[in-house]
Amino acid sequence: MDIAKRRIVIIGLDGMPFGLIRDLAGDGTMIHTKRLIKEGTFRQMASSIPAISSVAWSSVITGVNPGAHGIFGFTDLAPGTYRLTFPNFKSLKASPFWEREGSGRSVILNVPATFPARPLNGVQVAGFVALDLERATYPPSLVPWLKSVNYCVDVDSQAAHQSLDLFLRNLDRTLQARVTAYRYLWDQENWDVFMLVFTGTDRLAHFLWHAYEDEEHRYHAAFLNHLHQVDSVIGEIAQRMADEDALIVLSDHGFEALDSDVYVNFFLREQGFLKVEANPPWRWQDIAQGTLAFALDPARMYVNLQGKYPRGSVRPEDRVSVLEDLADALAALEVNGKKVVRRLYRKEELYDGPWLERAPDLVVLANEGFNLRGSIQARQLYGRGTFTGKHSQADAFLLVRGPRSQEATPDHPCVSDVVGIMDRLRQRRWQ
Amino acid sequence: MKLHNADKTCWNCPAIDLAGKVDFRACGQSVERFEKSLGEDEVYVMAECKRRPELGLFDPMGITFEECPEWVESPFGYMLRDMRVMIPGIDGYLGWALALWLGRLGFQVSGIDNYSRRDWVMERGAHTVVPIARMTERLQAAREVLGININFRRMDVTDRGRLREFIDEVKPEAIVHYAECPSAPYSMIDADHAVEVQRNNVLGTLGLLFIMRDAVPETSLLKLGTMGEYGTPLTGRPLFEGMFPADAVLHWEGREWSMGGELTPRDPVSFYHVSKVQDTFNIYEACKYWWLRSYDIMQGVIYGVYTEQVVADPRLRTRFDIDEWFGTVINRFVAQAVIGIPLTIYGAGEQMRGFIGLQDAMQCMTRLICSPPEPGQYGVVNQMSGYYSIRELAEVVARVGRRDFDLPVKIQRVENPRVEADRHPFEPIYERLPDEFGFEPQVSPEEEVYRMFELLTRPDIKSRIQQKSHLILPKTWWSGDKRQVETLEIWDEE
Repeated sequence: MDIAKRRIVIIGLDGMPFGLIRDLAGDGTMIHTKRLIKEGTFRQMASSIPAISSVAWSSVITGVNPGAHGIFGFTDLAPGTYRLTFPNFKSLKASPFWEREGSGRSVILNVPATFPARPLNGVQVAGFVALDLERATYPPSLVPWLKSVNYCVDVDSQAAHQSLDLFLRNLDRTLQARVTAYRYLWDQENWDVFMLVFTGTDRLAHFLWHAYEDEEHRYHAAFLNHLHQVDSVIGEIAQRMADEDALIVLSDHGFEALDSDVYVNFFLREQGFLKVEANPPWRWQDIAQGTLAFALDPARMYVNLQGKYPRGSVRPEDRVSVLEDLADALAALEVNGKKVVRRLYRKEELYDGPWLERAPDLVVLANEGFNLRGSIQARQLYGRGTFTGKHSQADAFLLVRGPRSQEATPDHPCVSDVVGIMDRLRQRRWQ
Repeated sequence: MKLHNADKTCWNCPAIDLAGKVDFRACGQSVERFEKSLGEDEVYVMAECKRRPELGLFDPMGITFEECPEWVESPFGYMLRDMRVMIPGIDGYLGWALALWLGRLGFQVSGIDNYSRRDWVMERGAHTVVPIARMTERLQAAREVLGININFRRMDVTDRGRLREFIDEVKPEAIVHYAECPSAPYSMIDADHAVEVQRNNVLGTLGLLFIMRDAVPETSLLKLGTMGEYGTPLTGRPLFEGMFPADAVLHWEGREWSMGGELTPRDPVSFYHVSKVQDTFNIYEACKYWWLRSYDIMQGVIYGVYTEQVVADPRLRTRFDIDEWFGTVINRFVAQAVIGIPLTIYGAGEQMRGFIGLQDAMQCMTRLICSPPEPGQYGVVNQMSGYYSIRELAEVVARVGRRDFDLPVKIQRVENPRVEADRHPFEPIYERLPDEFGFEPQVSPEEEVYRMFELLTRPDIKSRIQQKSHLILPKTWWSGDKRQVETLEIWDEE
């Protein structure tokens, strides 16, 4: 008996919270999504910890946790040094689903943390952080066409600092070019899996979350309009799909209002955990002898172990007691009378796999409204920048439409469940 | 002792590909490529190392030259292993000497030239009194004698298409730009010559800047300027290194403004010097617009014949001009002394100038190549090892000639064909090369003048000087006149 696989379409909406898409589907802003929710299985989904796009999407495409895929944040330190590095697709230690045997032909468009692109059976245009289109694209022969339609990997977030109007125009242009690219690839390629991520949703939420929450805000309509446009594309894709194709729509993390940025390394300096050679420090190499712990963005805490770091100051046998002291100090941290920390996780609680050694020793989950930041240069404990929205961990969403979608979808999914869901959806008997 | 460039980081290194500026606060990335990340936390510049791709993407401040295995210790600071240096103008007096000097240190040297210096000198009916070989012979001798392979391409620096191709092929990590006409009197001959000097110099440099923007933006440009760009302000204002120091203040009508970091006034003294000033502005702007990186080297008057490499074989000698257009003052003096013409000083001879010997200039250039500027940095150094009046230098030459070579050297004052003050205050600031780049002059004027006499008194060279002795005294007047200057006074005292 022949076994063939069902085609699958995956649409990602970076940073779209469960509550927001539910509400906008409900009020008619996202009418096509509303229909899909009705037809499929709709769940709140847990993001990775930390709820960072590169970590979460890496879990989505590999089906494993960071201990197995090795991506713990946008930044990391090179082993044995305090040298800051930026992990990318080459650093991913587990295979994405499109590289597994029998995965068929894939179109992978704008998935974050997949730069630089590498050969695959199909087409890939990497999402952010992608430094240039040439290295973001496989096969390279696609690059001239992408340039001809002004394809752009990402909206220029610096534009938003100059003018929100310019940012919104940029957002529109980026979306339109992405739609042009998806249509072209949809028609050109004989694909088995088509994955497309919209990342403007995340940028929109960072800069204009307050505009969403305030109906009187001058950009409230613009906020809704962008999501309305995204919904139209979702509707178009759903309409283009064959009856037997399966559809997954999902986000990698949620969003919520940002009340305060809290600078964890400043706190660690105040509490005596972090010693620095320059004051204020401006690079990680300024970490001095005597440092017990330091943080990388957003709140990944590392014990400064002897033998692991150049100026490691904690003996391995003292690691646990340092972690306990750190946990006690963080648990007591308050800003404006509110506790900052919701929960602390030791790495063994969160991660599992061959790269556990590289994982942060402790990861902090913040209470609502607190945006934890790992800057080494911080000159204050807390503050407020230009951003009005921040990532949230518990409320990504997952929507699955296809035969037996309910059976295929866990009741409480997390980002590393998506590959398993795909596997269950794809299998069908060939008549 | 710590080497002068030990603490420089990948931010300065030409092997870096500054891949992009990324704002992780909003998960996004910016189209601004090179802006430094300082000041905004969590806005990072990502870099990749072209030599060590295994490092992946990293913070360019993270590795110092001292820590990087690609930077190896040398007498001139940490030196990028097998660093690729391109020298436009490689056939000239400085270009050829530097090519051999760098080649012996292990740099991978390439260069271009269209032999225009040979043509300009020939056009004036002059010749280099130290014979130089054809380029093919030079390259062969460099291979045979010094074991250096120089990648040479004959081309005009203003031929942008071919230059772009060559730069794409070589991917130089530093470009030492010597491909300019270096003569004030040549630019003052007539309109054709003034236009040619400015065309070659200004347009050549401008085109090179565009090529660097598009092909090698991380490469450092070491561009030869001249102390003559500043002129000699009669107020006695110090000649700072390109920009006013941080604490300089302008007072006017009871108000005051900080001048720190602003370009100092330029007061060029010929149309050639004007071309150098125009280059200064073009480079300054390119660094600002495109984050190119450059040192503009305000070189004092160059002199000398000696480097270890050029004396290694007659075919490796660098040129030595003594005519009124291309002979620099000390070189001219020694030639005059050798053939018994009184040394000619213009006007009062109290003009003060900075000077640097050939070997010391090579040392400075190497140190600058080894310590590249930051992206966007337009840095200026005043490259000189000391300053003297023209009269003092004539006396040094006379003294060495009389004492060590038994020559009856006289000095004469002649009319000054130039428009310049022949008595003026002079306070050049030349601290950066010693303070930041570890430069220590190795050769005194007397030593180098001695070496020059040794070479120029050889019968074959002396005869070549005599053949062109009629071209030493100036006939090119800044006014446009063409007549030989008259002698004002002759001193022959010991």
